[in-house]
Amino acid sequence: MTPAAADERLSRADASPVVRRLASMLRDRRGELALATAVVVGQTLCLLAGPWLVKRGVDAGLIGDDPRALNVAAVLYLVSAVLGLLFGRWAIWLVNRVGERFLRDLRVRAFRHVLDLGMDFYEREPTGRLVSRLTSDVDIMEQLVSQGLVMFVQNALLLVGAVVAVFAMSWPLALCTLVIVPPVVWVTRWFQRASGRAYVAVRERIGETLTTLQEGLEGVRVVQAFNRQGGFISKFRRTNEAQYEANLEAVRISVRYFPVIELAGVVGIAVIVGMGAYFVDRGTITVGVVLAFVLYLNNLFEPIQQLGQLYNTVQQSGAGLHKILVLLDTPCSVPERPDGVELPRRGDLEVSGVSFGYGDGVTPDTDGVVHPAGPDVLSGVDLTVAAGERLALVGPTGAGKSTLAKLLVRFYDPRRGRVSFGGVDLRDARTSSLRDRIVVVPQEGFLFAGTIRDNIALGRPDADAAAVEAAVDRLGLAGLFEGFPAGLDTEVRERGSRLSAGEKQLVSLARAALADPAVLVLDEATSNLDPGTEQRLEEALDHLTEGRTVVVVAHRLTTAARCDRIAVVDGGRLAELGSHADLVARGGHYARLWRAWDSTAPTGGTAADLP
Amino acid sequence: MTNDPTVNDKESRRAGWRLMWSATRPETGWLVTGVVAGLVWTGAKLVVPLLAARAVDDGIRRGESGTVVRLVVAMLVVGLVQAVGTGLRRYAAFHIALRAETDLRQRLFTRLQSLHFSFHDQSQTGQLMARANTDIQQINTALVLIPLTVASFITLAGVAVIMVLKSPLLALLALGTLPFLSLAATRFSRRLAPVNLALQEELADVSEVAEETVAGVRVVKGFGAEARQVRRLTAEADAVLDRALDAARLRARFLPLVDFLPTLAMVAILWYGGHLVLDGRLEVGDILAFNLYVLMLIWPLRMAGMLVAQASRASASGGRIHEVLATEPRIADRAGAAALPPGRGTLAFEGVRFGYGPGPAVLNGLDLRIRGGEAVALVGATGCGKTTVARLVPRFYDVEGGRVTLDGVDVRDLRLSELRRAVGIVFEDTFLFSGTVRENIAFADPDAPVDDVRRAARLAGAAEFVEALPDGYGTMIGEHGYSFSGGQRQRIAIARAVLADPRVLILDDATSAVDPTKEHEIRSALREVMAGRTTLIIAHRPATVALADRVVLIDGGRVAAEGTHEELLVTSPRYRAVLAAAELEALLRTAGDDAGEVDGGEDAGGVTAARSGEGGPG
Repeated sequence: MTPAAADERLSRADASPVVRRLASMLRDRRGELALATAVVVGQTLCLLAGPWLVKRGVDAGLIGDDPRALNVAAVLYLVSAVLGLLFGRWAIWLVNRVGERFLRDLRVRAFRHVLDLGMDFYEREPTGRLVSRLTSDVDIMEQLVSQGLVMFVQNALLLVGAVVAVFAMSWPLALCTLVIVPPVVWVTRWFQRASGRAYVAVRERIGETLTTLQEGLEGVRVVQAFNRQGGFISKFRRTNEAQYEANLEAVRISVRYFPVIELAGVVGIAVIVGMGAYFVDRGTITVGVVLAFVLYLNNLFEPIQQLGQLYNTVQQSGAGLHKILVLLDTPCSVPERPDGVELPRRGDLEVSGVSFGYGDGVTPDTDGVVHPAGPDVLSGVDLTVAAGERLALVGPTGAGKSTLAKLLVRFYDPRRGRVSFGGVDLRDARTSSLRDRIVVVPQEGFLFAGTIRDNIALGRPDADAAAVEAAVDRLGLAGLFEGFPAGLDTEVRERGSRLSAGEKQLVSLARAALADPAVLVLDEATSNLDPGTEQRLEEALDHLTEGRTVVVVAHRLTTAARCDRIAVVDGGRLAELGSHADLVARGGHYARLWRAWDSTAPTGGTAADLP
Repeated sequence: MTNDPTVNDKESRRAGWRLMWSATRPETGWLVTGVVAGLVWTGAKLVVPLLAARAVDDGIRRGESGTVVRLVVAMLVVGLVQAVGTGLRRYAAFHIALRAETDLRQRLFTRLQSLHFSFHDQSQTGQLMARANTDIQQINTALVLIPLTVASFITLAGVAVIMVLKSPLLALLALGTLPFLSLAATRFSRRLAPVNLALQEELADVSEVAEETVAGVRVVKGFGAEARQVRRLTAEADAVLDRALDAARLRARFLPLVDFLPTLAMVAILWYGGHLVLDGRLEVGDILAFNLYVLMLIWPLRMAGMLVAQASRASASGGRIHEVLATEPRIADRAGAAALPPGRGTLAFEGVRFGYGPGPAVLNGLDLRIRGGEAVALVGATGCGKTTVARLVPRFYDVEGGRVTLDGVDVRDLRLSELRRAVGIVFEDTFLFSGTVRENIAFADPDAPVDDVRRAARLAGAAEFVEALPDGYGTMIGEHGYSFSGGQRQRIAIARAVLADPRVLILDDATSAVDPTKEHEIRSALREVMAGRTTLIIAHRPATVALADRVVLIDGGRVAAEGTHEELLVTSPRYRAVLAAAELEALLRTAGDDAGEVDGGEDAGGVTAARSGEGGPG
């Protein structure tokens, strides 16, 4: 009886496309599904056979005074019960298996699709929402599959079967009996809605109580120091009593529903017996039919209640599936061409006439909201980085230097112009080849669950132990990792909370060293490190960048000054380009900044201070 | 106290049961109503099949239409009684359980609020939260289940009696299979629990991979590690599949029994009962009644096992709650506690000895006199006991030897409320409550006029940044509110202490997070607060220490030296060493966690200057 908030429900308009898509996704499993359905139908028939056999036993055996007929009915009843048991076991297994496998594939498929999408998608989607698409939206379906799906199908079939059976036995009595069904359905639907709302309120009240409780506990010393226990106790009493009231409201709703259901059950029996007597008297039905009807009544009521309870879960699962389908429909903004080519081993990195802005103003996010296209962040940028050259990108925050770096590794495609490596447009390159040649090392060293070794081997999962160690050695980091409890095989827990920020960055440099790309795009870290680590990082960087083309998004002027050339990005354009000495001599933005920094800040100015 | 855990456990469970019983006592009226309603409900339920049987036999088979009408009317009446019974029974049970839950939670919170500091020092917030949440929930569930189970057993007994009266052997055949339903249900839930737990763990692993991949997507894409992450997720998804199928196997084995076992009973009723009818020892209507009874018993029997498990959980929970409720506050008013006499706030520590719990003594015969209105700085190395000295004044802890007096009276002989009213303290780690700035400053006196709040804020150096906010003193603090910087929070906490206008003010490292360049502003304001008020300052920065009239160096749990800041600098090498170490420590701390505050300009705003970075459509 999980309550569903508005966005956890599937809207009527979305329902039929979702069902159609589901059907097409299940096409591969047609065989399994057909078998499962057949078995569930078989089980339902066994359940429905019971009351009918009771009728036979009573009419032919008891009324007809024929012990043999009674024995036959009883044996058949036993057989149907055993068959029902076997079919039941099989049905649960089959339905669960097909459902769970479907969900397993859906999980993998959604995850794979998300990873194929461009960075624009990740900028658009809040992380929390995206993760819940990949996890809780599937988990809710998991609940349906494991606990509800069989019941849902069974109960629906049982309901239909029982209606057919009573009509087949005696349609006049069936009509009389079914009069009580609409009110039961109606009151069940009312109950589902009302109790759903009530439980949402209960959940909120519980949250408030817990918040007050937590604050009262964490702040207990201050509360006591200021003698405010009385105030806090009465504040807690208010939320606590509000929770009680909310709970009691939910109870009041159920107290109205369950008596009605029980009464309806008794009324049903009374109607069947009363009207049955009339029809038996007129000779249109037998006594056995009356008994069978009373037993079928159970097969009408139970399913209605059960379906009512499952309704919410089905709704939520539908909503979950709908959200995942929207996700799967999201197109990739940086698609790989089917005839993508290999990039040359070395070459110039060339940016020509590139304009770029975030968002295309067309693709909706997974909530269906289309965000307007952003203005151009870069416009008309031309820049060539020669093979083996070190180039620094500097400029104020928001100037577009990080954006330019992202275009160099094809996190985005430019709106106009092109980015090429060795003469090949990045859009024509195979993605794997692109990632081999050009590697980006982000600002923060991000670690994944696993060992340090796993983390270093991220881009080369097939690299052997020696290769990893060689990469570490090349950066002069062998000593660092020996200090860990299990060396390179130390598990990094919780995204590397065991490692300092500097150590994480060093791991990420080792990762790049193992990947051994032709071009490195570095986003310089801004966080403050202790002097020892800083030193180590500098040295590792020197080793790493040796012999490679390097583009560094510089946040410190000292870093920029050490590069071969500096590109000053301002207002989305390339404002100045040249060596440190050139730019200082030219007396532009860079020179002004350099002078200001040189005279006032002995410990480090930031390139973001540019005018 | 015995060391045998099983005896302890038993004792604790017994206490748990007593607690549950006592919690339901105030609801005697509803208890009686519930019992009566439950009995009426059970009786009505048992009567309906009998009436139906009579209608079939006397009415239909013998064609007495008058009898049928009478019986149908009787069934409708009984049905109404049953409906009212079930409604009342339900309401009574839930009402009692919810009332008990709410009252227990209130008692627990009230007790926790009055328990001494050392209790809270030793408890974890999360565990205490669990007492008030999960444990109490367990009790609620048990309290709802108990009457339902009792009613179920009465129903079962009633059915058994009715059946045995008709035919003992048929009763055995009809009811014989049903206990297996309870057994199977209990077994099933016992075996499903660990499988479900394993499934939850695997689901958590899937989440972890998804989360880290999304969070680190730049790295994943930058290194072309998409395939690697997909492989990892696939492995986790496969593990989920395996566990889910384990659970499915268990369900497949158990759930069909829920239909099968009652059906076996119904087959027996048809066959053996049928033969009894042929022999003239039973009537056709009885067959119907027996079937209805079997259907009636399915749910009660499925749930019978639940109570046993739930009762065990609830008594354990009750025991844990009892443990907290049975803890007496160690710091409380003595019998005949006296009112605080008027005075200027003279403080005296006489041969004070104190240690935390079984640990080593922290204070070891400390003697210190502080004149009314005097400002004294306590200085000493980390862990020397200076904070402890401060905490003994408002009786956060009681001394183990010697005594602490305020204006000549042992603090233990004073009314606690008056003592704490007279002593204002600013803690080292600032805790602000969710609510407005005004509510936080006026914490000691929620009805304080706004002018007092403004004055306190001004004296604490908080007025300027608070009044610059769009909502001023109405600005919300807390999870969804404005996030103040560490230094700003400390100044609000100082304002909170100032508003109470205490006789004795204790500043426990109260300006440690304030940007040094701002501290001088607070210092001049603090001078005004301290004028004529007894003040204990625990500080690291020499500039703050210099606010005091006198400095006391604490070392080895005693007063090691005292004098003015300048005197001690000259006479005490230990003082110089401690101060130098403290300064270095403070420096590292500021550099470590408030780097942003220093370079961003503290008052520029607590909302971390939107460092969205470039790019991103926001």
